[in-house]
Amino acid sequence: MGALPRQLFIPMAKIRIQINSRVYETDVDPGMPLLWVIRDFAGLTGTKYGCGIGQCGACTVHLDGHAVRSCSIPVSAVQNQIVTTIEGLSSDGTHPLQIAWQQEDVPQCGYCQAGQIMNAAALLMQNPQPSDADITMGMSGNLCRCGTYQRIHQAIKKASLATK
Amino acid sequence: MQRREFIRSAGSLSGGLVLAIHTSARGITVHKPGSPTPDALAPETSGAGILGDFIRINPNGDVLYQFVKHEMGQGVSTAMAQILAEELCADWEKVKIMFPAADMKRYQNDKNGGHDTGGSCTIIYQWDLLRNAGAAARQMLIAAAAKQWNAPADKCYAENGFVLLKGSAKKLSFGDLAHAASLEPVPAIVKPKEPDQYQLIGKPKTNKLIPRIVTGELQYSLDVKVPGMFYALVARCPVFKGKLKSFDATEAMKVAGARKVFSTKPIAGLQLNAPYMPYDIREGVAVVADSFWAAKQMQAKLVIEWDEGVNGHLSSEDFEKMAWKRATHRTDPTGYTGDENAVSDLQHIRKTLRASYVYPQQLHSCMEPLNCTAHAGESDCEIWIGSQAPHLIDSEIRRVFGFAEGKIRINLFPSGGGFGRRYYPDMALEAAFISKGAGNVPVKMVWTREDDHQCNLGHLFQHMEYQAALDKDNNLYAWYEKEIRTYTWAAKYIDPKLPSMAYDIPNVRYDFEDMIDEELVHSSAWRGVDGHGRFYGECFIDEIAAALKKDPLEFRLSMLKGGRDVFIGDPEPVHGSRILGVLQLAAEKAKWGEKLQPGQGKGIAVCPYGNNYCAVIADVTMEDQKLTVNKITIAVDCGRVINPSGAENQLIGGIVWSLTALYYGGLPIKNGRAVQTNFHENKLLRMYECPPMQVHFVTTKEDKPGGVGEISSPLGVPAVLNAIYAASGKRIRKIPLALYDITSG
Repeated sequence: MGALPRQLFIPMAKIRIQINSRVYETDVDPGMPLLWVIRDFAGLTGTKYGCGIGQCGACTVHLDGHAVRSCSIPVSAVQNQIVTTIEGLSSDGTHPLQIAWQQEDVPQCGYCQAGQIMNAAALLMQNPQPSDADITMGMSGNLCRCGTYQRIHQAIKKASLATK
Repeated sequence: MQRREFIRSAGSLSGGLVLAIHTSARGITVHKPGSPTPDALAPETSGAGILGDFIRINPNGDVLYQFVKHEMGQGVSTAMAQILAEELCADWEKVKIMFPAADMKRYQNDKNGGHDTGGSCTIIYQWDLLRNAGAAARQMLIAAAAKQWNAPADKCYAENGFVLLKGSAKKLSFGDLAHAASLEPVPAIVKPKEPDQYQLIGKPKTNKLIPRIVTGELQYSLDVKVPGMFYALVARCPVFKGKLKSFDATEAMKVAGARKVFSTKPIAGLQLNAPYMPYDIREGVAVVADSFWAAKQMQAKLVIEWDEGVNGHLSSEDFEKMAWKRATHRTDPTGYTGDENAVSDLQHIRKTLRASYVYPQQLHSCMEPLNCTAHAGESDCEIWIGSQAPHLIDSEIRRVFGFAEGKIRINLFPSGGGFGRRYYPDMALEAAFISKGAGNVPVKMVWTREDDHQCNLGHLFQHMEYQAALDKDNNLYAWYEKEIRTYTWAAKYIDPKLPSMAYDIPNVRYDFEDMIDEELVHSSAWRGVDGHGRFYGECFIDEIAAALKKDPLEFRLSMLKGGRDVFIGDPEPVHGSRILGVLQLAAEKAKWGEKLQPGQGKGIAVCPYGNNYCAVIADVTMEDQKLTVNKITIAVDCGRVINPSGAENQLIGGIVWSLTALYYGGLPIKNGRAVQTNFHENKLLRMYECPPMQVHFVTTKEDKPGGVGEISSPLGVPAVLNAIYAASGKRIRKIPLALYDITSG
């Protein structure tokens, strides 16, 4: 997805948006991708910028529990849905995926991992007992340059079995 | 692999147990409580405790390991912490990893190992250093406890974060002892543990940073926020060596939040004087705004005229043609054994084989885009960055801006991937320059993914020209190899060398020619560096085996009989016995020689890397143009394995690295410009095409650990190419596979 078409003089809009358990009000270009509102205005930097065109998944957050690429959604498109970022996935790092990620020693550089976990969390919400093929299909939108795919797969499996 | 250029002074490393502690900049130094510390630590660390270069112990018993190298996903901070904690006898659960700011005086020296990180060297350099530091601190804690108990020190011992008195119930925690221990003299002689006492070293330990990673807490330099900070992007020339002619910022300045626009010409150009690592900064136009999004809009609205220069009309095909010309032109040998003309000696040879292999330039594609935050002052500068070489940032900023020593403060962060790209100081120079130009304000300069793909340094290009000559008995009599490459650490090799192999070939010759001046994208170090092209030799060995109708494994084994050591020009010879070790283990685990299904084939590649050895066997199926990699088996001999889980991560990651290059890699250039702009065009391997992989460690007598960050990365390509040949008879000598309409999955 490329740059959105726009006029030269952009009226700022008062944006009111709920991210995790807080409501944020800010004056921004309504065309600004949700990703930058999350990172630069709400100050939640767990959600990452990797490509800006929805190809890498590092920016994955939940809108009302559905995984979306926040780099490719203008903030104005978020109406009353609640945005959940990695910081809001659990209050204390004990989501079954976060535990499984630790047990399986998944991350290497870690940069893509919030997006991976958020994508996996949405996958498990929709499909609590995914098959290997379900996991592979569901996760192939998330890139990892370090190559942690094998352990990501194992961790998702483990988390799904833990919550059986 | 030219790792010796990364090894700045291997000979003067503090390898001796006594020397490491006995010198002025030691593995552990002691500050008196209350004395100023060189870096601003978080409040929890400012309490009294043992203060040292690498270890701080708080009254609550937390052991804060000051990790001064670069953590970029190799997991080395965890492995190093294991070494330190082992000797310290710390409670592993209380060990935390800290990333202090760079300190050139304190750390950038051979005695304290330096900040720089690369060449898979960290674990090798830090092994003795950290064992000594941990053992010294342990002895100081014991001395403090012994004093308190009025007992002899040799009746005390440390275990799991406590010092205990033998034959009694007395024990004191490290936290309780920290202050008193900091008053003890640093011991002149330390006694590290014997390996049979190891509790942490050799055990799989999960990465210490995971709790912060899975909650989004871990800060990368892209996440930094400095009060009063602005954001900057640069519109860089899309052609390497091109120049900025003119620009119009009228529309850009109309973007809400726009602050300033100016050219980066003054710092641009090919920096050939940078020691060892020449880098490039492209001419461009910087935009400064009060948000990333505004800066991105500004960048898009600049109207720029470029003088595209010498490369403006050139394409990758043009460059590769130049390389072909060089490849087939005979030069003087760089290194040889036996007769340098053996491959042409008709008195002995009867049959000749030739092959040309090409490894195109590649992109690093670090998931965290390049970035740096800088706040320049009149005579000083503060930097926030994830960097593999802070000392280069320090020296280059001082050179370019004329600042004095000690005037650059570099705050260091783990990065979302370095892979060699983050060794170069260019983004710090850009950020500092922009900070200055914006009025000496803090500026976060970010590269978009498009910038990263189109205006970046790339991996080096290699064209490998091979020629083999067989004698009348069909023995491999002579091996000739010529490497054409765009990147060297110096303009030409100074020292003779040979290919990194231990095959028993009576006459081996290696020629080298550089094409630095002709490169269309400036070349830089990429994970595995020159190993990638050079281990195409493993494909050529297979071609010879095929010509002789021999099994590739049997052929290799027959040329490694006796496992001899081969001196190739590096400090360490190639140990044929260790090549045999990994080959045989891989073959066993991959079930080499088992009956295969129709369309199935297996391929081998084996290499030394530094003083480590790795063999990879790929099991594939080819059905017409469709490739399926069924399994990858990796066998490695990396000496003492510190953290098997972390090592496995690196070895598997290295294969994913090479499979990406194999399926999709390259940096195609047309009219001087990079064709691929983002991940939809420059594809990276995804989960659905990641094959199952298994790692096996050779049981070794080697006492010291070796680095595994890169070793598997050159082997995925030759192993799979060899397997494709075995499966289908298709011989592929250039990557990516996308060139041949071979799909993968």
